[in-house]
Amino acid sequence: MQKAERLLDLAALLLRASEPVSWREIQEQFPDDYGGSGEAAIRKFERDKAELLELGIPVRWVGGDEDLSAGYLVDKEDFYLPDLKLAPEDLALLYLAGSAALAQRAFPYARDLAHAMNKLSFAARAPGASEVAAVAALQLSADDADEDARAESSSRLEALSAAVAAKKRVHIVYLGAERRVRTERDVDPYGLYQRGGAWFLAGFCRLRQDIRSFHLARIVSVEVNPASPRTPDFTVRKGFSLADLATRESWEFGVHAPVRCRVRLDGPASPEERDAFGPRAVWKEADGRAVVEVEAQNQEALLRHVLSLGDRAEILAPRPLREKARKVLAALARRLS
Amino acid sequence: MTRKAAPPKADARDRLRRVLFLVPYAVRHPGVPVRDLARRCGVSEKQILEDLDFLLGVGCPPFAPDDFLDLYVEGDRVHVALHQSFSRPPRFTESEAAALAAAARALGGEGRERVVRALREAVPKDRRAIFEELLACIFAGSPPAKDSLIGRIEQAIAERRALRIRYFTATRGEESVRVVHPYTLAQRLGHWYLWGHDEGRGKALPFRLDRIRECAVDDKRFEPPTDAELTRGRLFSEASGPPVKLRLGPLAAAWALARPGQWRVLKRDRKGGAVVEVPGVSDEWATRFALSFGGDAEVLGPPSARRHFGDAVRRALARYP
Repeated sequence: MQKAERLLDLAALLLRASEPVSWREIQEQFPDDYGGSGEAAIRKFERDKAELLELGIPVRWVGGDEDLSAGYLVDKEDFYLPDLKLAPEDLALLYLAGSAALAQRAFPYARDLAHAMNKLSFAARAPGASEVAAVAALQLSADDADEDARAESSSRLEALSAAVAAKKRVHIVYLGAERRVRTERDVDPYGLYQRGGAWFLAGFCRLRQDIRSFHLARIVSVEVNPASPRTPDFTVRKGFSLADLATRESWEFGVHAPVRCRVRLDGPASPEERDAFGPRAVWKEADGRAVVEVEAQNQEALLRHVLSLGDRAEILAPRPLREKARKVLAALARRLS
Repeated sequence: MTRKAAPPKADARDRLRRVLFLVPYAVRHPGVPVRDLARRCGVSEKQILEDLDFLLGVGCPPFAPDDFLDLYVEGDRVHVALHQSFSRPPRFTESEAAALAAAARALGGEGRERVVRALREAVPKDRRAIFEELLACIFAGSPPAKDSLIGRIEQAIAERRALRIRYFTATRGEESVRVVHPYTLAQRLGHWYLWGHDEGRGKALPFRLDRIRECAVDDKRFEPPTDAELTRGRLFSEASGPPVKLRLGPLAAAWALARPGQWRVLKRDRKGGAVVEVPGVSDEWATRFALSFGGDAEVLGPPSARRHFGDAVRRALARYP
């Protein structure tokens, strides 16, 4: 019997049973698959059981007592998707967030997400406007951007998603940005994060012996350790927080020891400008001018950020960085004249 | 009824997940068109018909005639005679729920932790710990605006109520009050947009969420957009005007080309530098973008963009006497 068919048959049997189904009975019903008395039949059944669980079908063994015989069952309460009992606006949040993520194509567990969105129509009595809005969100991004590039990055993301979930080590070929060198390295994949519309892999790099981020578009290839797929290869280091890493500003990535830097902005800073300096920036406003202080561990990155604000901003301190800004702008001005 | 073998190439796991949705969906929507099922599942109609064929062989031991699933197609519509307890889909798997929860956290809104809790409850009991562990491994971005603001927008979309927003238009550097019929939210190149019908301008427009300063839900209800309106809808109209041309040094090129965007690479030099074209962006955007590479990029054209860049450089330089 084909596996897909066997799994569904097994699920149907256990779902319909009002009492636990004994191993002997299962063997009788599936003589070609679990027949015989050997260990092999039990192991095959256990593998199927694990696959059913991965599909969201929890098969449980219950030991018998006076009233109940021992055997396997699917707890209906624990099987059927319940109504999420969400208020319309919360349901809208799920629909909108899910469809926007799907529209990106490249999203961790994108396939699972698509299945989840389908199931969502059962998780509420009347999704109504939210479902229409979700369709609209998908429609809006329908023929957006480069299909091939997306397909490629989504397949890499899929491989990495699976590796993150199973805690399997990956071997990647990476094209570094700073030195433009290809390196090969083994990474313990801790998680995936998005920033500025691009995805990054965060993990423990065995080459650098430290936690590193890898821009997905620069990961040339991914190979997931194929050995014992159900056994984790690593544990995540204590104290690691993906959210902390993901929300770090570019000048907060440790290249050198922390340096206090001061930047002046003209006029009151807009909410976007404030956001762009991050939550750890200290602001002082006076006389229609704002001075912001940040602790930089990568002054070059801060310089790039300040330059991008054009003549709205200037670096006040430290002096060498101010001098660097002047040099960069002077060199550009020379090229322009 | 005879058992049929599954077509050899079908991805078994994917098929199983699909049919576990498809059967209950057809139970709930008797006579659903094959086309609709195909669209919902993101596969071809042929694939759906093959799935239905496969399902004919599925049943419950001891496989008496009434023990089989019985779905049939009549004039392109799917009916279910016997569903063998597959009347609702299974609970969310941990990765389904985690992906959805991560997406919800990235959008935000007052309900975001409520929906994460609801998703957790919708995972089978003994998989909830794995769900939490997995959710900690995905960070899909920081919410684009305050939770209260997003919450009101979500409410307006769900209840089809107009929104009164105070909106900052970056190109004009000014704020204005608009009344918008919020259709949906969408994300593009790292930014979130509210897409809806602007009453004052009489057409559907995108509004960047981080530029909505204030918003209030109106009592007024609006009619949902028509299918035609949605089909025509694009977040942005086709780029007008000449594309901006930029020269990127090796470092800038490595960074820039890895970002999502509509680049066209015109030239690539041996050291890794590039000349690229970007359609539909303003002179201001081009200047800021080039300057964000700290001297490793410059705007080449068109003349107005080059001038804008040059002026910005000279004025910025004047701040460092």
